[in-house]
Formats: sequence, C-alpha cells, structure tokens
Amino acid sequence: MKEIVILSGKGGVGKSTITASLGTILSKDYKVVMADTDVDLPNLGLFFHAAERESKEISTSEKAFIDYEQCTGCLQCVDVCRFCSMVASDNKPLVISYSCEGCGACAVICPEDAIAIKKVVNGSIIISDTNNMVIVSGELSIGESSSGGIVDEVRKTAKKEAERLNTDLIVTDGPPGIGCPVISSMKGSSYVIAVTEPTPAALNDLKRLAEVIEHFQIPCGLVINKSDIHPGGIQAIKDFAQINTISVLSEIPYDVHIPKAIAEARPVVTAYPEAPSSIAVRILADKLKSIIKKLN
Amino acid sequence: MDAEALEIIHQRPIETPLIAITGGKGGVGKSTVAVNIAEALVQSGYRVALADADVDGPDDHILLNIPLRNPLDVTCTLPLIVDAKCTRCRQCVDTCRRHALFQPKDSSPILIGECIGCEACILVCPSDAIERGERTVGKTYKSEMEYLTLFTGELVPGVEESSFVVNALKNRVLNEAKDSDIIIIDTSPGAHCNVINALKGSNEAFAVTEPTPLGVHDLNIILKLLQILHIKASIILNRSDLPGVRGQIEFVSKTYDANISVEIPMDDLLVKSYVKGVPVVRMYPEAESSKGISRLSKEIAAKYIK
Repeated sequence: MKEIVILSGKGGVGKSTITASLGTILSKDYKVVMADTDVDLPNLGLFFHAAERESKEISTSEKAFIDYEQCTGCLQCVDVCRFCSMVASDNKPLVISYSCEGCGACAVICPEDAIAIKKVVNGSIIISDTNNMVIVSGELSIGESSSGGIVDEVRKTAKKEAERLNTDLIVTDGPPGIGCPVISSMKGSSYVIAVTEPTPAALNDLKRLAEVIEHFQIPCGLVINKSDIHPGGIQAIKDFAQINTISVLSEIPYDVHIPKAIAEARPVVTAYPEAPSSIAVRILADKLKSIIKKLN
Repeated sequence: MDAEALEIIHQRPIETPLIAITGGKGGVGKSTVAVNIAEALVQSGYRVALADADVDGPDDHILLNIPLRNPLDVTCTLPLIVDAKCTRCRQCVDTCRRHALFQPKDSSPILIGECIGCEACILVCPSDAIERGERTVGKTYKSEMEYLTLFTGELVPGVEESSFVVNALKNRVLNEAKDSDIIIIDTSPGAHCNVINALKGSNEAFAVTEPTPLGVHDLNIILKLLQILHIKASIILNRSDLPGVRGQIEFVSKTYDANISVEIPMDDLLVKSYVKGVPVVRMYPEAESSKGISRLSKEIAAKYIK
C-alpha cells in the first residue's frame, strides 16, 4: 500500500487545498482513496460534496468511572493521577473526562476497587463516494480525546477500501502540528509531502515537522505554497531544504483563484483548471506520479 | 461535562483576567491577533502576559521577534526497572494499558512502546522494583520585556505527550504572571484536549475565523466546544473581505450567540508587518487591521481590567 500524507506543521498553509487538487488529478490515472486524518476538524470532504455511504461510531478511548457506592473518599486516586483528570470535590473524587487518559493508575491504587476503566465512544469514521474516488474521514467527538486512535482507524479503513477497489494508493490530508495525531498519521506511511509558505512562522513549524519526519525515517518532499508572497522568505526555506536534503517538489504562486475556489468549495484544478496554481499543482502531480512508481 | 466538573476545571489561583484566542482552523490568524491584542494593550499602558499554548508550533516569539528565555524542562515519568528487585511477576506488563512494557523470557520487563508516564506500573509493582526516571517532553519559556511578558510552551519534536507541556505552561503563567493586568492565551488549532486545557478558566474566548466554507465548518465546532465548556465566546472575522460565505458566518454567530466583535479586512500592511516580526499595531498603527484590533483591545480592557 502506498500512503502519501500531506502535512505542514503550521495550519492554514494550504494542506487541504493542495490535497483536494492533487487527489482530483491523480484520480484520473489511478483509483484513489482519500483520507482525512485531521480528526479535530475534518474538512477535506467539503471540497467534493461526496455522498456519505457509511458512518460508524468508534471507541478508541478509555476513561475512568467511579462507583460512588464503593468509594470511601480516601482520594488516593487524586494523588496518583498524572493528568490532572481526577480532582477532589466535597471529599469525593471526580473524573475530568476530557483529559482522562484511561491509564488505570487510579484503578490500581484504589483500595476499594471502586474505579473501572471503560471504553467510550469518542468519534466516528465516515466513508463517502464521489464518481471516481472514495473519501474516508475521521471525526473526533467534541470534548473527547485519543485522536491518535481515530487516526489509526481512518488509516485502517482507508486500506480496506483500497483493497476493495483493488488499488494501492491512499492520499491523506493530515492535521496541523507535530503532536500525537500527526505522528499517528505519518508512522509507517510511504511518503510525506510537507507544505509550507515563505513566512518565518511557517518555516519555524516546518523545521519542527522535519525533525519528526526524520525521527520516523519517512521519505519526504516539500511544497512551497504562496511562494511569491515574501521574496526574502523563500530563500530561507530553500536553504533549509538543501541543508536537510529535502527536495522542493513545487512552488505554487499566490493565486486569487484559490480563495475563489475555496469559496465555491471546489478544488482549484476543477474550478479554474488554467489558473497559475492549477498549472503548478498539475506539475506537482506529475512529479508525484514518478515518486509513487518508485515507492515499494 | 457536568456542572461540578466544569466549575472545578475553571478554577484558578489568581484573579487576573484571562482572555483566550482560539479558532479551530489553522492559519486563520490566531497568533497574529493574539500578539497584536497584547501589543495594543501594552500601548494603552497595561502590563500583559501573553501565553503561547500552541506547543506543537509556538510562533508568537517569531511574530514578536524576541528570543525565548528562562527555559524550564517539562518532564514526565519514565519507569526504570531495577532488575535485582524484579520478581518477574508480570503485573506491570499486564497493567500497562498502552502495552508499552514487554516481558522477555529471561529478564525483567523492558519498555518497548509508547509510555505516557502514567505510573500505573510503579503503583502496581509489589516489590518496589520500578523507579521513577524522567523523560523531557518539552520546555516552557518566559521572555520578559518592559510591559509584555511572553510565556511559551514547546513540545519536543517526536513526542506525543503534549498535554504535560500545556499544563506546565498554564501553571507557570498563573504562578508568575501575578503582576500582570491581563493574561492573553493563544491556543493551538483544533478542538482537542490541549485546546481545552488552554481555554479553561478564561473569562472570554475569541474564535478567529475567515469567511470560507472551511472557516465556517471549523468555527461551528469550536463554538460548540466553548458552549460545552460554558465559556463566553466572540468571533473575530479575519480576511473579512474574502469572497465567500459571510451569511453563513452570521448564521453561526446567531446560533451560538457569539458576536462578531471585529472584522479585519485583508491588509497588505498586516502581511508586511507579519513577515518582519513586528506587530502591525506598532508598525502601521493607521492600518485598517490595526484600528480594528486596537478598538477591540480597548473594549477588552474596559470590560475586564479593574
């Protein structure tokens, strides 16, 4: 299975925009499964107006539950919780559910066996179809945790869909940041496309992302979006890429057609195929096709 | 979340007003708005603590062009198994819900997977054979200028336990910002537990968004989260003149009773100041974006600073 994951470190640099367009182009030559692992705010699907085929709730999270009939109020559980998720209220422990890791330390220490760790529903997996692609996205329920677990489920489901379609290409729109859902999105994937823009903040976040990619030893390439908004900034990115032997796959110019296409909720390559950014994305797609051929 | 739990998570040790800048979607301008509100409040003569809680990618120091100073390590527990004391009872291996411990045939258990530092193994071990080691998961910083103190949380790349860093940052701010008139907290994108940890205890949260279908989608989610947390919400509409879905933003605003407190049009001067590392309210006080942010800052001060 070839999993291409689009990441960026910094949010809002164009991950979903570029992923939607890339997927659209690739789907002309390949059967493509698209995945959205930005499970906090999955919005890749907005570009495709896809018809939902299946939605299922999942439980990748566990939480502590207290049996107050057994509890004597000794509060040892409050002392041992490393996540500030067990607090004392009127001499009784109270679980702060959103940050509870379900680690079970409280259950281990409880002398009355009054604490159980139970699975909770924390999100859902949605499979949608368009004419020529399948989109698998994950959605974390608001206020729930363990987004990494939902990402794992999205990737599993995407692989199953790919097998069903007899294809081996998955293009994934990842979350911003470098934390747990990002790590879950990239671990064991085939190739990472890091999207950035020539601003100091985006470069700072790219450097941090590159460290994580390096840590997990995943081949990667760089896309510089809005490449002409700050002439001074682009050289800094290229210098960074050169020092770290990351190839720059594409420079996509700032293009008013992109906000217009976003406003219409369509990939720019569909809405404005001759726009400068669409031309740049098509060249990127060609490069990616040759990269895909070389991936095992 | 039940009322009792909500009350407890919003408790804080100091009275200093706490204003959160959030928004869900990445790249909508959260950090830009946060540093500019902080700067505008400084210009009005207030002492401001700005906390950058986007620990995955903390960029406020870059937007302010100031170095990170006074680092403190954020650590979590790393279990160290003492072979001489271990009886191979396997209880630690069975207790670890992350399956991070493995029992080889001929030795004491070894750590192979992702330990989250919960200490359940240490608690369950009947022979005291597991010691508390330490693993650095991040840093917090405190950069002091005359009227502005920037607190920053930074996760070590490759580490997943970011909630320790956000909590450490929040504690440091609440302990060390007693002399500030106001605390501005800049959250990460998303709506996950780290955003909640950053938001808790705030007097008001401003959700920065833009009038695009993606912005509307994410605004809906973050406002729903703020509603669940019982935090007063307002909207900051950035790039307000982008072609798009203004009506939908207004609809969401009504649905959640969250006023659009300011509209910031697309502004070349803002972009110029952004890449220079100078807040626009300082570099171009007459810019459209500066005027809107300064007005909002005055309203915040009037409402919350005693």
